[in-house]
Amino acid sequence: MAENSQTPESVTLTIDGRAVTVPKGTTILQAAEALGNRIPHYCYHPGLSAPAQCRLCLVEVEGAPKLQPSCITEVQDGQVVLTESEEATRQRTGVLEFYLANHPLDCPICDQSGECKLQDYVHAEGRKHGRSREPKRVFGRDDFGGDILFYGDRCVMCTRCVRFMNEMAQDPRLTVVERGNRSIIDTFFEEGVEGSPYAGNIVDICPVGALVSKDFLHKARAWDLDHKPTICPNCSQGCNIDLHVRDNRVQRLKPRANLEVNQYWMCDYGRHRYEWMNRDDRIESPVVNRSGQPVPSDWSEALEALHGRLEEGVRPVKAVASPFASNEDLAALRHLVDALGGGEIVYRLPRADREIPLPGFPRLSRRRDLAPNGRGAEILGMERVGDDEGAGGLDELAHYTGTLVVLGDELADLEADFGQQAALYIYVGSHPSPAASQADYLLPATTFAEQEGTFTNHEGRVQRFWPGLQAPGLARPAWLVLGALAARMEGGGVPTSAAEAFVQAAELAPEFQGLTYESIGTRGAIINEPVALPGA
Amino acid sequence: MSDETTERAPFRNPGWAGNTGEFELSEDEVRGRSYVGEHAPEGGHPSRVPTVPYMLPEKDPEAPLFEGPYAERFEKILSRYPNRRAALLPTLNLAQELRGRVSPETMAEVAQLLGLSDAYVRGVATFYTMYNKRPVGRYLIQVCTNVSCNLCGGDEVLAAFLEHTGTEAGEISDDGLFTVMEVECLAACGFPTAVQINSRYFENVTPDDVPAVLDRLREEAS
Repeated sequence: MAENSQTPESVTLTIDGRAVTVPKGTTILQAAEALGNRIPHYCYHPGLSAPAQCRLCLVEVEGAPKLQPSCITEVQDGQVVLTESEEATRQRTGVLEFYLANHPLDCPICDQSGECKLQDYVHAEGRKHGRSREPKRVFGRDDFGGDILFYGDRCVMCTRCVRFMNEMAQDPRLTVVERGNRSIIDTFFEEGVEGSPYAGNIVDICPVGALVSKDFLHKARAWDLDHKPTICPNCSQGCNIDLHVRDNRVQRLKPRANLEVNQYWMCDYGRHRYEWMNRDDRIESPVVNRSGQPVPSDWSEALEALHGRLEEGVRPVKAVASPFASNEDLAALRHLVDALGGGEIVYRLPRADREIPLPGFPRLSRRRDLAPNGRGAEILGMERVGDDEGAGGLDELAHYTGTLVVLGDELADLEADFGQQAALYIYVGSHPSPAASQADYLLPATTFAEQEGTFTNHEGRVQRFWPGLQAPGLARPAWLVLGALAARMEGGGVPTSAAEAFVQAAELAPEFQGLTYESIGTRGAIINEPVALPGA
Repeated sequence: MSDETTERAPFRNPGWAGNTGEFELSEDEVRGRSYVGEHAPEGGHPSRVPTVPYMLPEKDPEAPLFEGPYAERFEKILSRYPNRRAALLPTLNLAQELRGRVSPETMAEVAQLLGLSDAYVRGVATFYTMYNKRPVGRYLIQVCTNVSCNLCGGDEVLAAFLEHTGTEAGEISDDGLFTVMEVECLAACGFPTAVQINSRYFENVTPDDVPAVLDRLREEAS
């Protein structure tokens, strides 16, 4: 909303004494948000319709006979809004007291504690002591199926979940049952929300601890979790997400708003595939394999020895890349292969049989390509091989006799004799496997969760991600390892940061030219070529 | 209505709100005179007139939705509303009239008929207390215990009904005839205690009237 004062259809109003200019049709709540003033609210959610039923966002508008719900009241020129006036504050305190009349005070065992809007609002503006002497009504908890558990007593009846299922998932399985203080969110008896591919989002948008994830149940406290911005690695949509990390382990994934990619949502398929980031079986130090004897090594020794081998003379190079590697990693591989005289690079990519779009926002879809960076590999001239399981396709390479470089691909489906006929077999990756462990040079790389980098999603949007986990042992980003090798071969500079590695990538791929980490920012940038959707 | 002309004349449709002319009811049945004792035959309070008989005494929980005259009435309901969703309440009424209650299966069938989600129909059906979500007896006896009736002994009337039917509130009596429940205002505050039995109103009911009313119902049922 930076340049909106220039647009003809703009409106200037005053909120709490500060003037703000916003486009016509903006609500008071959104205008206040533009000023950094977050008006308390439950039922309003930017991605859903606003029924104005929670009565928490009522603000004083000069000239209006009574308080106005700011989430649906559109701004008008010259309007004077008071969100902190005595009347507005008094009414919020009153509404909050009603919310607490039936809400259990089980914060110590509630998963939402620490990120709960009721907790926050009551702490800020609630009464110090409740006056209710009536017993609270009790519902207990209900299993909604799938990953969702419902604690009826904690519900504040904002109906965000009902509206998400109706408007976004367009699978109207949730409803308000009964009335008055017996009202409760429920499905059609035992139906549940199981099988709804986006149902996990109702846990995210629940402002209190009524809807919780079974996977995350009692696993960690909200205040112990570091939120690390990254990109979902589970398909080529490239949803913006946060890794929630405690004790160097990913505890859950949460969507991060990006209106052009995933709005506020993510699919359950992606949400529940994070355990592999916590795998403990890792390649932790460089291993040099001398005539069948694996010898752990350190980086300078291993790279020195490997450089010597490469100097001795390089046979024609063939390489295997991974679509789970960042643009920087893939470009560094391309760079190294080019430095060794050039050669074919292939990658394998698991593929689902269908897309799973979110009906209310079909631009968001669980894509068929089940890896984040197949597009990046394609841009860097790599060729896709193998089947839809992400297996096969490497039969020829398994018995290749030249120089073989593998980046990232775990080779889980291959036998231990993979690459044994190669003159030189270099494996750069994170997880050991029989086929990888036989490499002449086994070099530990970080996963995407442990490094900075970029992915190119299905529509050619380059998006940055940031490290969320500490890499184990001596694991280093592949762009650094491969970049160091290429620099030794060619005498160029070693990239010292992911941003520099991206600059080098842009030199290799014209599509990335003109982009920098700064210009990509947190929202991503589309590469300069007409968009061709894969799998169309 | 004029006093002289209507006293012995066949009952004529007085044109009250909601009378669709679909039921052949005698004036006695409409007025409920024989059940509540000595009331002026020309009538009294309009609340004694049933609007829609929202539950037939003969109920068939397995009755199909909707066939024969009910199919016609369902079509008629649909024609009154701009979309099918708006027709949900009267459709549920019709289903309950036929089956005596709105069971989960009924909700699902109605949802199917109207193109709504099952969950939505459940939400609506549970919002309104006059849809019976549980089975009820042949006669649903609803005793008002709201302010006026309460002041005039509504609780005693309720207790009398429970005693003489031998049931707990909301349960079905052993003979399957009666379900007694407490309701809020029946809009007959001038004639406490008001009792609604299926679609008929009984006014100025006292605990002493209760056995006679129940005997009359048993007789009718046999």
